[in-house]
Amino acid sequence: MTKFKLSSLYLIAVFIILYAPIFYLIFYSFNSGGDMYNFEGFTLEWYTEIFQDTRLLIIVLNTVVVALLSAAISTILGVAGALAIYYARRRQTKNALLSLNNVLIVSPDVIIGASFLIFFTMIGIKLGFISVLLAHIAFSVPIVVLMVLPKLEEMSTSMIYAALDLGASRFDVLTKVILPYITPGIFAGFFMALTYSLDDFAVTFFVTGNGFSTLSVEIYSLARQGVSLSINALSALLFLFTMLLVIGYYFITKKANKPNGMGVRQ
Amino acid sequence: MKAKSRNYYLIPYILWIALFVITPILLVVYYSFFNIEGEFTFENYQKFFTPVYLKMTFSSFWYAFLITFFTFIIAYPTAYLLTKTKHKQLWLLLIIVPSWINLLLKAYAFIGIFGTYGAANNFLEVMGVGGKQILFTDFSFVFVSVYIFLPFMILPIFNALDKLNPSLVDAAKDLGASGWTTFKRVTFPLTLDGVKAGCQIVFIPALSLFMLTRLIAGNRVITLGTAIEQHFLVTQDWGMGATIAVFLIIAMVIIMLITGKRKGGVM
Amino acid sequence: MTEQPIIRFEHVTKQYDNDPAVLNDVSFEIERGKFYTLLGPSGCGKTTILRLIAGFIEPSKGTISFNGKNVNHVPANKRQVNTVFQDYALFPHLNVFENVAFGLRIKKMKNQTVEQKVKEALRFVNLEGYENREIKEMSGGQRQRVAIARAIVNEPELILLDEPLSALDLKLRTEMQYELRELQRNLGITFIFVTHDQEEALAMSDEIFVLNNGNIEQSGSPNDIYDEPINRFVADFIGESNIVSGTMIDDYVVNFTGKTFECVDGGFNKNEEVEIVIRPEDLEISSPVDGKLRVKVDSQLFRGVHYEISCYDEDGNEWLVHSTKKAIVGEEIGLFFEPEAIHVMRYGETEEEFDKRLEAYEEGSYES
Repeated sequence: MTKFKLSSLYLIAVFIILYAPIFYLIFYSFNSGGDMYNFEGFTLEWYTEIFQDTRLLIIVLNTVVVALLSAAISTILGVAGALAIYYARRRQTKNALLSLNNVLIVSPDVIIGASFLIFFTMIGIKLGFISVLLAHIAFSVPIVVLMVLPKLEEMSTSMIYAALDLGASRFDVLTKVILPYITPGIFAGFFMALTYSLDDFAVTFFVTGNGFSTLSVEIYSLARQGVSLSINALSALLFLFTMLLVIGYYFITKKANKPNGMGVRQ
Repeated sequence: MKAKSRNYYLIPYILWIALFVITPILLVVYYSFFNIEGEFTFENYQKFFTPVYLKMTFSSFWYAFLITFFTFIIAYPTAYLLTKTKHKQLWLLLIIVPSWINLLLKAYAFIGIFGTYGAANNFLEVMGVGGKQILFTDFSFVFVSVYIFLPFMILPIFNALDKLNPSLVDAAKDLGASGWTTFKRVTFPLTLDGVKAGCQIVFIPALSLFMLTRLIAGNRVITLGTAIEQHFLVTQDWGMGATIAVFLIIAMVIIMLITGKRKGGVM
Repeated sequence: MTEQPIIRFEHVTKQYDNDPAVLNDVSFEIERGKFYTLLGPSGCGKTTILRLIAGFIEPSKGTISFNGKNVNHVPANKRQVNTVFQDYALFPHLNVFENVAFGLRIKKMKNQTVEQKVKEALRFVNLEGYENREIKEMSGGQRQRVAIARAIVNEPELILLDEPLSALDLKLRTEMQYELRELQRNLGITFIFVTHDQEEALAMSDEIFVLNNGNIEQSGSPNDIYDEPINRFVADFIGESNIVSGTMIDDYVVNFTGKTFECVDGGFNKNEEVEIVIRPEDLEISSPVDGKLRVKVDSQLFRGVHYEISCYDEDGNEWLVHSTKKAIVGEEIGLFFEPEAIHVMRYGETEEEFDKRLEAYEEGSYES
């Protein structure tokens, strides 16, 4: 029984360490003292400050627009990619496509950021909204592919033959059989792309120009100047928002009854 | 009959691969042969092999190794104990949730916690050790990195442990192995794939993190990532930045070869 | 019987939390050198018994002794018992040699001894020359043999086999049944074999324990269990049976389907309600006049060695007949059987009572 207690203690310690910093941040977002050291009194001042900061609100809007657009477009591309890999008949083609697909997933953000910076500059895309959007689409596509592909692979091929046997055209098979079947995977991919985009800092930092910023980049530049409790307030709000996304994602994958649907993000 | 319809799906996807996977990498290699004046040269590569850059590369690897090592030491028991809990999927979800929170916010939290008057120092004073400079030290850099990477290491190890056929453990016990021997001879070797995957997803980013070095380590630690960012965005010496990037890519490929080309379950 | 049993269960109960007991007050003994089979449908508790003997779980109540010593709390790795698992549980990261050598290496044996013993064990299971193969290169039947070699190489006093043949196809399974039986005879080690396949149990065992719902329903030799099932469950589970209710008029006289027949069972109360078992192969087709029962053929299947004919009597009882002769569907036929073919079962009789009754009337019966 002592063994049991020790192991629970260890797990509890890990959980505390994992969550303490987050709640520490949120706790001090209500501090009227202005720093993260002495809790002087309760205030919502930092939250009101955020909502009065038009510049910040525009940045939030930028971030959300980039996230939604990039997630939507990368989902379409990703589904096409997954189908392309699924339909690839030769094993080598399949493996080659998968390896190329995974390059951007394993590449460090700095490499992606730097190489995209060179790329956009070369072809003359102005650094700003368009470059950030393109970069986000680019790094979200492989994630969508990886979320959709397992669904395609687990789909029984006899289902497709059954549809063809019943007189469906290839287009019918796609829209009436395949797409409905992989819908949970598509949703999961969309959510993953969304959160990847919302969370990305390094790539955006490289390819953004003057006058266009996302939340992560903004937090970075604020944090470099030191502690400011409006960041805390912002993080509390983001935490809430993330939790909502997580719960949404959880239910979508749960509906897809795939236990390993949950992923860690990088 | 499939051939034609297959081509349609391939078009946008291949386009994406060509534009955003192959071209950027080729461009990085191409740029590494140009100096800051835009002349073709091998200068950058020569510069990379000077003590300054070699030392930086070495220390970057050293820190990445430390971070991976400590993350592993904490993650394995955690994953192991998680598989023994009831409702393990729920607990796993709770481990993963912090990884969904913006990286910068977590780093920022530690600026507060490790600051001169922060919670960590308060704790040390209460314990009678007295206040210390924690922020902007190697310790804080490694600690925060381990904190950030922990869920990424736990997940693949957890999956590997969870997939392990329990009758193998029974079989080892049945053949006379004690708990520790069973772990050493059976459990650990069979979850090595998960460990490798975990090390891979920790080590590569640990080589290239730059915001942490700036925010937490106060520029004391320079990783390959920091150097790349420095050259691209501060000194505007893209050629040198690209050269370092080439070496980072090579390092990445080597690490992936060592840790095996396991995919899936890694994300 | 003077020799100490290798395993003894005394009133062993296994229960998880507040769920109904998986094993309910079970007592039995296992003698040295025999081939035992635990037979029963899934969830009957047979695997639980195996896991209790192996030491993977501890009993909630009762005692388990090994060579007379209580081993309730002895962990699996300290028991001289080895298991052949249902899914073989071969270590995928080790080759055939190292899998077999695993237990010996744990005992820190010298390399030379290990090599010699492993080779010998592999020869025993006809796998010479496969030492360096990887597990994934082996077929199902070969894996099975590796698993057996891995168990016997440790020279345990007892080998437990948990449905080891269930993953094999029919032909291989039959082949392995012969091999296992022969292996057990050659080694002289006690085998406890778990299966839900009654044919397998009948073919291989010295002793069978029939289990149901966490209880041992009946134990005995394959012949005993087949010929003298204690109750409807055993009769039904082992082989095919025709079971009808009847009345015991007197010793050796039984009434069913409205007719009175001579039989060889005794020791009942007068006019006691009983159940009657007649095996399909004990029924012979005759003309309606010569038969003891008159039935109508309902359907017929060709089973290779015999025809399986389903008939109904006037009361609506189904009679299954195994016959080498063909019948014609829809025709009236007679069924003939010897008095020995009738087996009478008492409702709710325990194994102890059953054995006692059997002994009592067999003394005076004309058969023995």
